Amino acid sequence: MKLMTCPVNGPRLISEFVYAGELRPAPDPATSDDDTWADYVFNRSGVAGIKHEWWCHSPSGVWFIAERDTATDVIMRTFLYRAPGAAE
Amino acid sequence: MMRLPPIAGEWIDRAVPLTFSFEGHEVPGFRGDTISSALAAGGVRVVGRSFKYHRPRGLVSFANHDVNAMMQVEAGGRSIPNVRADVTPVEPGWRITAVNTRGGVANDRLAWLDRLARFLPVGFYYKAFHGKRLFPHWERMFRALTGLGRVDTTAPLRATAKRYDFCDVLVIGAGPSGLSAALAAAEGGADVLLVDENGAAGGSALYARGGATQPTAAVAALIGSVAAEARVRTLLGGCAAGYYADHWVPVVTGEAIVKVRARAVVLAQGASEQPAVFRGNDLPGVMLASAAQRLIYRYAVAPARRIAVLAANAEGYAAALDAQSHGIDVAAVLDLRSTVGPRTQVYRERLLQNGVRVLNCVRPVEAIGGAGGCVARLEFTAPSGLESVNIDGLWMSVGFAPLTGLLHQAGGTVRYDSGAEQFVLDSLPAGTYGCGKLTGAYTLAECIEDGREAGRAAAAELGNSGRREAGRRPAGAECSNHAFPVFRHPKGKEFIDFDEDLQIRDVENACQEGFDSSELLKRFSTMGMGPSQGKHSNLNALRVLARVRGESLEQHSLTTSRPMFHPVPMSHLAGRGFVPERRTPIDREHAVRGAVWMPAGNWRRPEYYARDGHTRAQAIAAEVGAVRGAVGLIDVGTLGKVEAFGPHAGEFLDRLYTGRFSNLKVGMTRYGLMVDETGVVIDDGVIARLGAECFYFTTTTGNSATLFREFGRLATWWGMPVGLVNLTGHFAAFNLAGPASRAVLAALTDLDLSDAAFPYLAAREAHVAGIACRLMRVGFVGELGYEIHVPAEFGVELWRVILQAGQSSGIRPFGVEAQRMLRLEKGHLIVGQDTDGVTNALEVDAAWAVKMDKPYFIGQRSLATLAQRPLRQTLVGFRLAAGGAQRPRESNLIIDGGRIAGRVTSIGVSPTLGHLIGLALVDPAVAAAGKLSLRVDSGAQITAEVVPTPFYDPLGEAQRRKEGA
Amino acid sequence: MFAAHAQLRPSYDVVIIGAGGHGLASAYYLARDHGIRNIAVLDKGYLGGGNTGRNTTIIRSNYLTAEGVKFYDESVRLWKDLAQDFDLNLFYSTRGHFTLAHTDAAMRTMRWRAEVNKHFGVQSEAIDAQAVADALPMMDLSCGGRAPVLGALYHAPGAIARHDAVAWGYGRGADRRGVEIHQQTAVRSIELEDRGSGPSVVGVVTDRGRISTRKVLCAVAGATPQLLAMVGLKSPIYVHPLQAMVSEPLKPWLDPIIVSGSLHVYVSQTARGELVMGASLDPYELHSTRSTFDFAESLSMHMLEMFPFLSDVKIVRQWAGLADMTPDFAPIMGTTPVRGFYLDSGWGTWGFKATPVCGKTMSYTVASDANHPLIEGFGLDRFRRYALTGEKGAAAVGH
Repeated sequence: MKLMTCPVNGPRLISEFVYAGELRPAPDPATSDDDTWADYVFNRSGVAGIKHEWWCHSPSGVWFIAERDTATDVIMRTFLYRAPGAAE
Repeated sequence: MMRLPPIAGEWIDRAVPLTFSFEGHEVPGFRGDTISSALAAGGVRVVGRSFKYHRPRGLVSFANHDVNAMMQVEAGGRSIPNVRADVTPVEPGWRITAVNTRGGVANDRLAWLDRLARFLPVGFYYKAFHGKRLFPHWERMFRALTGLGRVDTTAPLRATAKRYDFCDVLVIGAGPSGLSAALAAAEGGADVLLVDENGAAGGSALYARGGATQPTAAVAALIGSVAAEARVRTLLGGCAAGYYADHWVPVVTGEAIVKVRARAVVLAQGASEQPAVFRGNDLPGVMLASAAQRLIYRYAVAPARRIAVLAANAEGYAAALDAQSHGIDVAAVLDLRSTVGPRTQVYRERLLQNGVRVLNCVRPVEAIGGAGGCVARLEFTAPSGLESVNIDGLWMSVGFAPLTGLLHQAGGTVRYDSGAEQFVLDSLPAGTYGCGKLTGAYTLAECIEDGREAGRAAAAELGNSGRREAGRRPAGAECSNHAFPVFRHPKGKEFIDFDEDLQIRDVENACQEGFDSSELLKRFSTMGMGPSQGKHSNLNALRVLARVRGESLEQHSLTTSRPMFHPVPMSHLAGRGFVPERRTPIDREHAVRGAVWMPAGNWRRPEYYARDGHTRAQAIAAEVGAVRGAVGLIDVGTLGKVEAFGPHAGEFLDRLYTGRFSNLKVGMTRYGLMVDETGVVIDDGVIARLGAECFYFTTTTGNSATLFREFGRLATWWGMPVGLVNLTGHFAAFNLAGPASRAVLAALTDLDLSDAAFPYLAAREAHVAGIACRLMRVGFVGELGYEIHVPAEFGVELWRVILQAGQSSGIRPFGVEAQRMLRLEKGHLIVGQDTDGVTNALEVDAAWAVKMDKPYFIGQRSLATLAQRPLRQTLVGFRLAAGGAQRPRESNLIIDGGRIAGRVTSIGVSPTLGHLIGLALVDPAVAAAGKLSLRVDSGAQITAEVVPTPFYDPLGEAQRRKEGA
Repeated sequence: MFAAHAQLRPSYDVVIIGAGGHGLASAYYLARDHGIRNIAVLDKGYLGGGNTGRNTTIIRSNYLTAEGVKFYDESVRLWKDLAQDFDLNLFYSTRGHFTLAHTDAAMRTMRWRAEVNKHFGVQSEAIDAQAVADALPMMDLSCGGRAPVLGALYHAPGAIARHDAVAWGYGRGADRRGVEIHQQTAVRSIELEDRGSGPSVVGVVTDRGRISTRKVLCAVAGATPQLLAMVGLKSPIYVHPLQAMVSEPLKPWLDPIIVSGSLHVYVSQTARGELVMGASLDPYELHSTRSTFDFAESLSMHMLEMFPFLSDVKIVRQWAGLADMTPDFAPIMGTTPVRGFYLDSGWGTWGFKATPVCGKTMSYTVASDANHPLIEGFGLDRFRRYALTGEKGAAAVGH
């Protein structure tokens, strides 16, 4: 089984982790028109490539960001959201 | 009998004889025999019938690479299908039959299919019998003919345990290169696990001896060194079934699966020998030379009395010597090649000295069957012309195909090497190494050297670094593989794939029809899709394909090789299983009171409590009646229970829920509705403010784990320092509800329960029966009621105390069904029942719980858009007279002018009101007209009246009941 | 069966990207019913090598929404005549289809689907546990005690077919009518022009050269987002792998198709006697058809919960396909804001059964540059309008 490295708990089986989609900036709901908001709500960047994604180490509840190539499933790195030095 | 005198290193235990039956005949054997070896020793030459034409078949690969030796085994009261005879150790008393016969191997009543072969070309099935009327008939016949073994549908579950193993370097294959790799890796400091599907290490070096009485000393020494090396653990009889991400390799043994995590893997699986393709190459008695050698040296079985060897490499000559040294008459060595290299020359001279006829430039014409359909004669052409030789065994040694499946799965690649006439390693992913025949190394010295390098590199890098250049076959070395061992015959029956009975012309025809790549060919002809998964057929098929297209093999690739390497029983894959079921602390109390269970998420809950002499409906109605008339108690401990604290907790909840909680007063509760970013209702619950910076709230049972996790993500994303604790399993929770609930509770607590001190929707922390509790005065079921949350360890005690205290008031525990009716009488929705995956908050009459004037909540912006549009549906209440024969049920449709206008989401006869009440999601225009036309199960339509909710106590007086009222 | 074409022509009336079932069916009906024969069907791999050859071949029409039921029922109707249209045996075999319910919520959904189906004349009924036991006497209805079966949705027309043959039949039919099928031809980009009224398609650049065309049909399953990016469109489509596995051939013992949402199992027995099995979607985005061992482990565990007597039956092979998923579990079809760019996408895990009707409706849509009435609910712009189809209702209810 594939391994993933939790920034807090270290390498664990991928079955311990929950995926929650790509990290995406949300537009300001107050200033967005309907189309802009619907685009944010529904549309996804479905093209394969290196993405920053939300993952949770489920047993410990640690949320973090994984940089992963969705074409190959290679995980480049994992880091805590907005951790110092972890450029997104 | 074909059993030989004892041979050094044989795998059988002659001290333990046994007998079993095959096709009704007693067959002797020894412990250690496989089914196939015992059959061969007993002189049984026809072991099965082919898949399509039901031709008699014998052992071909004796390596679990062909379909012929698949058996139905009756043993110990079980009937096991598709047992692999080549590799399954036989047990005394087994009753064995070949899988694919009608009436037995000897007199298969379906043998006539073979005579039809001419009329059953490749793709035949696609081209015939597809008349709309005829196909069902033909299909019934076809289905009866297909399939291999029979499943005994009464067989019990067999659960096996799984094991786990971890190592630095996993070496797959314990032949010379694998042994050498394991030793080198261990010497490099690595913890090594060496696995091999065979029962002994040594690989082909143990049986490809060239007539020697012992394996080469170098191999014996290597085996000894590995055995003495403390850093190498050896697992024999274990097949690496696949190669999965991050060097995760399940090794399948007879008993269980060992899941191995390695830091690096060395692939040293060797190769599978490939047949020559000529007319009659599937007759029993025609086998791979390596199969014959394995029979001789492992099981002391002479597969024949007089053989010819069809050779195209030194290995064939060595096999002839192995035959001779065990008393098998070698009529001829028939070499396809015109010249031989130095490796062959050594053996050739010995054979010539022994008087064996050796011919070159041979082309096989046809193997001809004799008694029982077994091979009796081979016709061939030699430079001198057409000849024939009488034999009872024909051994084929024309080449090998390295096993590349695991390499492909690991992410490595191969390329065709026209010097080696085989696919060789081309590139490797990090942490994977290959050696031996995979790189084109065939001699012992080459394999040992190649393995040593791979093992060293694996230990040194441990998966951390770069790729190792592959392909180390010395230039000019004598090739072991014939470029095109395929010989057409005008009458066909030259089999490429024994599993699927595919001949040369099947491949040619498929190409001509346009199925001219390996993947298309595979799918059209089913080439390589049988039980051997192409191990003996893919390469020859590709050779024919390339030749038809006038291309070289370099332009072609092998079909994707998927797991499993050998088939794996589902019992092994399934293991023992682990499906956790959650139970509330009160679970046993429910059981003793006759709870009828229902699943709720991964919990179980009492649906209702069975009562003697009561039907289900009566029992539920009695529970409803207790709550409305006296007092009831329900276990709501499966609800998600969360504490949020800190200065931002209120604001956090404001963002999660559609309502506002930052302004909630300490000691009060409020209903919370949650929607997703598209405005769709996903959850609801009750939020209590226990302190200025402390909230305690509930989620629905099924969503609790997912939502709690999501709360954590949102807090992280929003950068809100909120403390979140999941108390779902930590707290037991009950709802004590009914007019008498205050009185029952009052007897157990000092807390002032007066309406003034503890009003409707208030929350308190107090002791009940000496236990510290959180109390919330809520009204989900529409009566005066208290939700009581206590640490789980006090749950049972409090449950009992409350029931005891309520005895005189007529207290009764109630289950989920009664609660559903009670809330329906109040018109309260259940998320997931009265809403579905597209129901938004505007459609469920919940505007009062949606505060659009807040700065932000999830889904707010989408609801703002939706508010500009007409509603697609709305949740309304309806009523009907009870007692009609045509009672509507949940999910019945509402029909308006012949179209679907909505559906019933909840319905039931209200025990309190005495008539049918329900909720429906319906087209707002239809709802506004005030009448719903419900289509009941019979198809009849009945009319219901839309009525406002709540159905019961519309002013909510019951839940606000003051003391003494 | 198919002609090989050494070269691409400089221009085609229609370029179809994707030589799977949907693309070839569209080509076939364009040529047969709409008289458009100057068509190139391009595929970066081989014919039928995508999800057409990777699915578990289930055909049914027991959907939840009006648009879904009507659309798939038309497909089932077309399926039944297809073999004769093609003069090719597709092994279309009506087996009956059971969707098991293990919770009362699931049972409600089954009843809902049955009611909607019956409304449209589709044979579906919710049956109770006893009826399931009568139909499937060999099954452990307690599912190992873990998820007792409460009932099922029984859909008599549920069928299986030989998936590859469908692509070959459409391919051969299109080929005979002059359509060119170009395998091993990858699309690099799609050329657009904008003369002020919005973008429209003018050409396709492939690794074998440029083609002029005014109409491009995208029927590429897991690669849809890449194609959409080429024309500057966004979509909700996300790609997850869907895995499957197959057993050794067994003598026939399982006639119908069995699906259990709670246990994440669907299984049928093929004409060859193999059990073809699938489970739920892989849990995260991935554009690779790799296999995982945990898939084979958990699917086997659930299979044995239902059929404990299969303990000794062996799994021969596992594989995967790429599913392009949508938020409402319904496809995205029809015209797009880019003139001449037509979408046949979002087929998730259910595209095979729709092959004929997709061909019919997409050929109409491409030929007339207007959406076929049967696909009006499936447009790309429904998300912008918050007008999702209700098909998601079924999935979200069942805990």
